[in-house]
Amino acid sequence: MADEVMELTPEMKAAIGKSTDTTTYEVTSLGIRTFCRAVGYENPLYFDDEAASKAGHPAIIAPPGYLGMPVWAPGAARRQELFKSPFTRNLNGGTAVEPLEHVYAGDVLEAVTTLTNLDILPSKAYGQLMVRRSETIYTRKSDGKVVAKTRGTSLSY
Amino acid sequence: MAVDAQTYDKIEVGQEFTLEEATDSQRLVIWAAASGDFYQIHYDDNFAKNNKLPDIIVHGALKGMWVGKILDQIAGTDGWVKEWDVAYRSMDIAREPITVFAKVTGKREENGEKLVDFECGTRKTDGTVTTPGTGTVRLP
Repeated sequence: MADEVMELTPEMKAAIGKSTDTTTYEVTSLGIRTFCRAVGYENPLYFDDEAASKAGHPAIIAPPGYLGMPVWAPGAARRQELFKSPFTRNLNGGTAVEPLEHVYAGDVLEAVTTLTNLDILPSKAYGQLMVRRSETIYTRKSDGKVVAKTRGTSLSY
Repeated sequence: MAVDAQTYDKIEVGQEFTLEEATDSQRLVIWAAASGDFYQIHYDDNFAKNNKLPDIIVHGALKGMWVGKILDQIAGTDGWVKEWDVAYRSMDIAREPITVFAKVTGKREENGEKLVDFECGTRKTDGTVTTPGTGTVRLP
């Protein structure tokens, strides 16, 4: 929790509407199968190569909401910050997912996140809460199709 | 365990579908690997307690993806999950079962698509909804 009462700074206000650089996500068969195992998917189209092929798909399908993992590199920042936040603790406030196309093992997606709204609100539990709303658009590199959109709410205190 | 795929003509407003999900530490660790969310409050008991939590807690995003799964099962391979949203209103302590639900709130035809709207989310055994949301699927 920040010690002093914070308001949106000019830098924060200027960040609303700005987008991050492109982040590359890899959708691998291992990633899809690990997601299926964690969430509990039983549809063979999501983990069985032969079933997917017989149904006319080029590879196993990623279940809705699975959009791969950002390409990892040692020391790389987990996410690009569009402004300096005085709050250090973060909570996931909510998620919306809009699947638009099938995503397959082997796909490489390019994601761009736009900060759509930012507020600092009084909070009974935390004193003050920064509420960030963002939208991320995922585009498949091979054919340029937008495959999904997600919207997120992030809370910091 | 899965719910059966539905068709637009047969599904009824008010009908509710549910799935029971286990939240043991092993499952949360598999989710950590699947999602890349390695925050220790989800699998390290001491870390969670030192952060004023009674125990490790279930990842919000995992609850969100369970909602996606139940909608995907309702849609089946001939349908399509158009969208869903969830809000992470309160925490779920691990090792307690969670019920994922999707209740039909409406049916409509739009631009040639047969769409079904849901009130969905996750709830605890005492009935408290910790992750409320809405969703829409296209059904054959």
